[in-house]
Amino acid sequence: MRFMVIVKADKDSEAGVMPSTELLTAMGKFNEEMVKAGVMLAGEGLHPSSNGARIRYSGKDRTVTTGPFGATRELVAGFWLIQVKSRDEAIEWMKRAPFDGGSEIEIRQVFDAEDFGEALTPELREQEQRLRSQARK
Amino acid sequence: MRFMMLMIPLGYETAPPDVKLDPERVAAMMKYNRALKDAGVLITLDGLHPPSMGARVSFASGEPLVTDGPFAEAKEVLGGYWMIDVKSREEAIAWAKRCPASSKEVIEIRQVQEMSDFPADVQEAAAGFTELQGKSGR
Repeated sequence: MRFMVIVKADKDSEAGVMPSTELLTAMGKFNEEMVKAGVMLAGEGLHPSSNGARIRYSGKDRTVTTGPFGATRELVAGFWLIQVKSRDEAIEWMKRAPFDGGSEIEIRQVFDAEDFGEALTPELREQEQRLRSQARK
Repeated sequence: MRFMMLMIPLGYETAPPDVKLDPERVAAMMKYNRALKDAGVLITLDGLHPPSMGARVSFASGEPLVTDGPFAEAKEVLGGYWMIDVKSREEAIAWAKRCPASSKEVIEIRQVQEMSDFPADVQEAAAGFTELQGKSGR
């Protein structure tokens, strides 16, 4: 099962404050452990939302709003994609992450083709697989 | 430049674990995904199960605290994402505008941090990060 671990934004991440060398070193060590265990598929950090934009949809209308967006705790600061056997295993891994001081992460399972049932017709399923294999450069 | 297009479906914060998808909407979205791919901008994409199946781990006291979903206080949650490679934020916004999203969906565009965005001391401390990134990294 694949899980996305969403790292929630906080005042510092939204202000563009860079992590300390200590934290980066601890995070590097944690990432290495996950890679060695074959758990980590990807991990990225995002620029603060002040550099971002939102698009709202209504019929053919598109309304663009530029960042920053309020409700800092609802924003995403970064993520991991991990491959584990269960949600519990995902939780166990993430308890070991070197966070502190009120940081919060959210663990969410990624949809696989089987989860879509009949909505994903054989044609769509084939197209989806083709997209995945071709998308990565 | 890499950007994440974060899909925020309003109401997904209270969706049941067995949330049903509309085949017509899935087909429309696949057409859009295909256009992203054909233009050579798509790096990867995923959809997420509802928060009612998820968990949060918070680190307020130093000891990790686990909360099972759904999360009562959540007003906006992630439903999925695309990672794209484009020349500018404007190009990313132009792509998002083309998405066949419904009036209950919002897409947030966020630039992905590259190693070159950081000062030298941070880059040094993060040495080896690119090698860890795996299949969606570059």
